[in-house]
Amino acid sequence: MIIAVSGKGGTGKTVVAALLVRCFTEMGREVLAIDADPDANLGEALGVQVERTLGDIREEMLKRMESMPPGVSWRTALEYETHRAIVEADEFDLLSMGRPEGQGCYCAVNHVLRQIIDTIAENYEVVVIDTEAGLEHLSRRTTQSVDVMLVVTDTSKRGITTALRIRELAESLSISFRKLGVVINRATPETEQRIEEYAREVGLEVAGVVPEDAEVRELDLMGEPLLKLSRDSPAKRAVCGIAEKLMELGA
Amino acid sequence: MEDIPVDVGLIYEGERIRKSSMYVDLAGPKSKGAELLLVVPPDEVEDGKVEVVGPDVDQMEEGGRYPFGILIKVAGEKLEEDLEGVFERKLHYFCNYIQGFMHLNSRDIIWCRISKDAAKKGLKLYHVGRVLVNLYKSEFDVIEKIQVTFYTDEKAVDEHIARAREVYEKRDARASAIKDEDVDVFYSCLLCQSFAPTHVCAITPSRSGGCGAVTWFEGRAAVKVDPSGPIGEIPKGEVIDPVKGEYSGINEYVREKSNGTIERVYLHSLFDYPHTSCGCFEAIAFYIPEVDGIGIVHRDFHGVTPFGIPFSTMAGQVGGGVQSQGFLGISIAYLRSPKFLQGDGGWRRIVWMPSQLKERVRSAIPQEMYDLIATENEAQDLDTLRKFLEEKQHPVLERLKAEEAKEKAEEAPEEEQPAATMPELTVPVQAGAGAPVEFTITFKNAKIYAEKIIIRRKE
Repeated sequence: MIIAVSGKGGTGKTVVAALLVRCFTEMGREVLAIDADPDANLGEALGVQVERTLGDIREEMLKRMESMPPGVSWRTALEYETHRAIVEADEFDLLSMGRPEGQGCYCAVNHVLRQIIDTIAENYEVVVIDTEAGLEHLSRRTTQSVDVMLVVTDTSKRGITTALRIRELAESLSISFRKLGVVINRATPETEQRIEEYAREVGLEVAGVVPEDAEVRELDLMGEPLLKLSRDSPAKRAVCGIAEKLMELGA
Repeated sequence: MEDIPVDVGLIYEGERIRKSSMYVDLAGPKSKGAELLLVVPPDEVEDGKVEVVGPDVDQMEEGGRYPFGILIKVAGEKLEEDLEGVFERKLHYFCNYIQGFMHLNSRDIIWCRISKDAAKKGLKLYHVGRVLVNLYKSEFDVIEKIQVTFYTDEKAVDEHIARAREVYEKRDARASAIKDEDVDVFYSCLLCQSFAPTHVCAITPSRSGGCGAVTWFEGRAAVKVDPSGPIGEIPKGEVIDPVKGEYSGINEYVREKSNGTIERVYLHSLFDYPHTSCGCFEAIAFYIPEVDGIGIVHRDFHGVTPFGIPFSTMAGQVGGGVQSQGFLGISIAYLRSPKFLQGDGGWRRIVWMPSQLKERVRSAIPQEMYDLIATENEAQDLDTLRKFLEEKQHPVLERLKAEEAKEKAEEAPEEEQPAATMPELTVPVQAGAGAPVEFTITFKNAKIYAEKIIIRRKE
């Protein structure tokens, strides 16, 4: 199952993605986490160190191509480098897409890279992609078909509008998804019901509501990985609820 | 398959063995290794033999990392040394057919893993060798005898790597010498048609794709991996012009894949039927009519060409899948091709290039030409360029002078010096994106005087 977690910056999208990874691993699933948002840092949230990103590899590869001996194919070399870039934590693997490309032709290399990532992704029961609201990576570099698109929003009307826009964008970029749901993050008892109703009114399915959580806020503030979150943290419980629901649906 | 404790099949291709399910790591980024396939005389192969020099899987420690070498010797009446590389590449695929065995990359940068499950079922390197013997023989009838040796002992691996590197080097030297005339099949790349719908990239041993990413060898590999992908085969057909590089096979293919927009293609010339460009070439070769020479500018150069415009402005005119007379999008590697612009005189016609690029391809520039080519340090515009070329007695001047003398004789004496003279200039014009309204303006021996020319689309 491939789950893309999107949403505009500041909504806590990366926190939700990282918690999803934790929940799935605790459920005993083999998980590949993909950080496809150059402005976020899923690795940090998951408490692992990323040494090389695919962005770095892509640039290196473009430079190396010129001097590749005729008997060596850069596509097998690129496959090797991609595998090498995967951070292997005990419970999950992480692949970071890194910076966007510079000038020049990336058609060939991106085309091959997408095949490689698709093939790698097939090895996991669950793939969680943290992607930016522009969906740039999904449309050009990672995969064009996801099972579930989760759009994380805060409890503002504007957040819901963004969610609608992301849905439109996904459709116009021909990214296919079987299901799209919003995750309302940092909900408080006062806002929860109203924003949920509003989302439904405009035709968005609510995949889950994650309550405001002092512990998450504190870890986030200190830049600490969410690994340290206690087992019964309300935010984590809520996200694990979403994970379980998705698994049940076999979505 | 006989006594192999795990499954073998296509479905296991692309299997990644994760750290948590890995029994051992073989070679890889934190160790070393190499694979090598050799074609040898029949008496040097013991058919079907599999040997492991060093510990086999059952003697390895769980979670361990070992250096790893693979040596395959094959023999057969019809086998040639040239097939070694092709067969060796197959190792990657054959190894990956084995459940619980991961194989990445090639040559001396391989990385293999054996899964805990496979080790528990009793998979040994010996079995991997048996599978390879069977797969090679069933896939290639020409292989009559085959023998497989694995190395896991560090000293043996070191020796194996050293020997393998020598072979790779020899092989590459042979392959680099391959020219357009040595092969029957070229390759095409349609990857960029999403933004340049009429662009068909023809890839031959002497011309890599403009992006630099797709060489003839890469094309050959890509077709094998992904036969229905954007890279395909072009039958070479008849040679129409061996110097300019025109082939009937390329013409037919390009005509079809460009929906009839492009009729003919010269691989090695800027004129008449130059190769189209997508937009993502690494450099541009451009004709400078004022000196009858050719300049080259690459993407990393941010200054201006002697035309007064930078790479980016020029790139806008060259790309988009149209044939632009006097302009050609090229890869840096093409500068090293023995057929580099041979239809136009090759390096003897080159008059200007950025100093950084000139240094980068120094070894490809004929020694006697190196100092005759101006850079941005000597020539910033047409005047300084011309002065430089005269000072250095660049060969383009002879041609230019001969032509000017001819013109002077024909011209009325009161006529002023033309701003631009070009033997022939054809400008293909494409009206609107994708619109089929297209026409060509051809100037022959034209002189153009203008302060400004405005062409507007008729509303």
